[in-house]
Amino acid sequence: MRSIWAVATNTFKQAVRMKIAAVFIILLIVLLPTMAVSMTGDGTLKGKLQTFVSYGFSLTSLLLSLLTIIVSVYSLTSDINQRQIYTVLTKPIRRFQFLFGKLLGIILLDVVLLVLFSTLIYAIIIYIPKFQKAGPAELAQANNEFFTARAGLTPPEVDVTQEVIDTYNRLAETDQLPPDIIENKTSREDYIEALTHNIKLGKRAVAVGHDLAWEFKNIKPLEPGQSLFIRFKYNVSVNPPDLQIISKWFAGDDRQVKYGANVQTPIYTFDRKDLIRTFHEIEVPADAVAEDGYLAVGFFNVPLNDTVVIFPTEDGLEVLYKADTFYANFLRAVLLILFRLIFLACLGILASTFLSFPVAILLSLAIFFIGTISGFCLESFDFLSRNLSSVYSYTVRPIVQLLPQFDKFSPTKFLVSARLLSWSLLAKVVFYLICIKAALLWLAALLIFRYKEIAKVIV
Amino acid sequence: MEYAVETFSLTKIFSDWWGRDKVYAVDDLNLQIQYNEVFGLLGPNGSGKTTALKVLLGLLYPTKGKALCLGGDAANPKISARIGFMPEESYLYRYLNARETLDFYGRLFGLPSKVRKMRIEVLLDMVGLKAVANRPIGTFSKGMARRIALAQALINDPDLLMLDEPTTGLDPIGTRQIKDLILELAKRGKTVLLCSHLLADVEDVCDRIAILYGGKIQSEGKVKELLRQTNKMQITTGHLSDTAIGKIKQIVNSEQADCVITSPMDKLEAFFVRTITTAQQLSLPTSGAVSTTQIGHFLAPQTHPESLLDKLVSTPVSRQGLSKPPTTKQVVRPEPAESKPDERLLGKLTEQTPPAESKPVDKTKPVEPKAPQKEQIKKSILDQLTDRSSTQNDNKQQSDKPQTGDPGNA
Repeated sequence: MRSIWAVATNTFKQAVRMKIAAVFIILLIVLLPTMAVSMTGDGTLKGKLQTFVSYGFSLTSLLLSLLTIIVSVYSLTSDINQRQIYTVLTKPIRRFQFLFGKLLGIILLDVVLLVLFSTLIYAIIIYIPKFQKAGPAELAQANNEFFTARAGLTPPEVDVTQEVIDTYNRLAETDQLPPDIIENKTSREDYIEALTHNIKLGKRAVAVGHDLAWEFKNIKPLEPGQSLFIRFKYNVSVNPPDLQIISKWFAGDDRQVKYGANVQTPIYTFDRKDLIRTFHEIEVPADAVAEDGYLAVGFFNVPLNDTVVIFPTEDGLEVLYKADTFYANFLRAVLLILFRLIFLACLGILASTFLSFPVAILLSLAIFFIGTISGFCLESFDFLSRNLSSVYSYTVRPIVQLLPQFDKFSPTKFLVSARLLSWSLLAKVVFYLICIKAALLWLAALLIFRYKEIAKVIV
Repeated sequence: MEYAVETFSLTKIFSDWWGRDKVYAVDDLNLQIQYNEVFGLLGPNGSGKTTALKVLLGLLYPTKGKALCLGGDAANPKISARIGFMPEESYLYRYLNARETLDFYGRLFGLPSKVRKMRIEVLLDMVGLKAVANRPIGTFSKGMARRIALAQALINDPDLLMLDEPTTGLDPIGTRQIKDLILELAKRGKTVLLCSHLLADVEDVCDRIAILYGGKIQSEGKVKELLRQTNKMQITTGHLSDTAIGKIKQIVNSEQADCVITSPMDKLEAFFVRTITTAQQLSLPTSGAVSTTQIGHFLAPQTHPESLLDKLVSTPVSRQGLSKPPTTKQVVRPEPAESKPDERLLGKLTEQTPPAESKPVDKTKPVEPKAPQKEQIKKSILDQLTDRSSTQNDNKQQSDKPQTGDPGNA
């Protein structure tokens, strides 16, 4: 243990004294406050905060990722190249202990830098409202929509499988299937998929003069008396002249109306006029939620509109409520970055067990950048190889799946929209990113390093 | 019987990219180094010395055969905790200073911090770098880095010390110190394996040598036996009067032999060491290494290695004279430099054979009085041949007071 720690602290010193870290530290120390001053966002306090946290966090995360890759690769390859490793591995230290010491040193460096920069970012965020001299309205908005960690509830997805089958059968019986299917130009699966999509969309479409209601359960705000927010976005079949939709919204416990009991909790109504294809939020007082955490939300498509209103499947409608503090959320976002860095450190060490410095850097960077666009990569692989399905799904796909998915769990995304980054989500990330992906890299690194001939071929 | 280092037809072949055998770096090497032996692995550049050492240390894997250090695999922490290794160049972290470097290696051995601190100070003192202990290694000259590399190899008080070209890059004082140190360590019961092509160094300190060429042992044996010219004799004395010289010549002539009697030349090494020692005594400023002649006291207390070893090892190496008290100041080094067969062999193997005169160096500074190599005196009485140990004792004594025993000048 003592020897592992010796290697770890030595790796830390190496990164600091060889001034590898210095470049990044100076860059961040200069850039972060500069950004805080210069960025204005959309002019509101909330906009400024969002812009700063978005760029500040992304920049910190990016630079620390690069730093981790460089340090982890440099540390091992330079030891091998400059042969300090000869004097180290001939001491009573096992090779896996040596590698672990390296990893520990890099993690140590990352932790120190993360603490430093997240403190800096947090301090700036806290002080921005004071410097900004924002009015009470802006402050309230910032408090409700930025300095919070909101959980989002989406309406449960309706199971439409049976309906799709029924529809398909009905079409088949009445010979209304499109000719492509009959001639086998389109597969039956593709058609059913399209049909499912249509029917699902139909469940979220509201014709003129109709209404649509969603039920939400288990709403548990952090503190009583906190407002809830209905967040929504309209799509339309025909663009209204002014691109606005007039609407009437309801929020409350509708069960008491249905069953004729006395109204215990208020039911709120809102008359609104909103731009299409942008997100809007309606603030609902907390007492609309029933004691058992039930809330119904209704939307009425007012006849003044001349179009069908559709709520997009993924993010068309959500109910948001404060589920945790901004501070806790911020902390978890920082942890998320740390896990990413740990993964990258394992990657860098693995690469440098069998590659020279430049190649190892290149490989690690490539994987890092692929990881930041993993969603796109996965989709395109899936799409391009549809015709080779079995070959693909047993060869390329598992490998592609092993790539990190940094974009899917971007800490910035959560902070900017003040979304709750829950412990359970964090645990999930740890499980996939660290316990599976990083652990595999680590095992490979240990294996390669275990059997590697350390000394160069010198005769 | 267990050996400190043992190899069984050790072979290391470097293959090319296609896996075809390219170079036999070490070819069927069978080494047996006993405990408490100073063993020299000689050979010209590229003869496989360093490769053999790296295989022993587990930095390379043997293609065939097996290598054991202290009865086990050097990769085993229990074994490597007892090994000190000084590589052929000082591979150190440039950004650490001397003290931190030693601390780092001490921690790799898991030494508790108290022990570490004590040893670091002692070692820094010993290698003469205490004054620059807080300077980064990157700013050190090659020789200074070499000294740290040496200190690093000693921090665990190793039982087996492997030194790869220990004296390259060192000034004559440093070289002398390392040689003294090796002898002193041997006296304290350590085993030393030395790779070198600097023959003078090897000859001065080694009990046994093996000469490697093309990865194979070409010649192996005790230095004294390999180099002894049995047809010549040498006498070393203090100053003699002319009459005494005349008598000696008479005696020699009566034996039908010839002899030449002259005053020996001082060795340049001895002269150099003396000059620098004088300067140091005057405390002239230097930014370089300051040499001291102390040895780290923690390096195995000076018990009697013989008796200690007897207990530990069934058949200890006999180091003649170890038990003998340093009775005499005059040491006869038996190996005259001009042995013909030897020179021929060396000349064949290495370009840089130091011919005739080099050998009789004493390891310590002052010592040199005796051993004039040109002087051959046949004396039937010289039965008590030379033994190294008495040289050592002598040297040690003298190293404290370098100036004294210099009859060459006197």
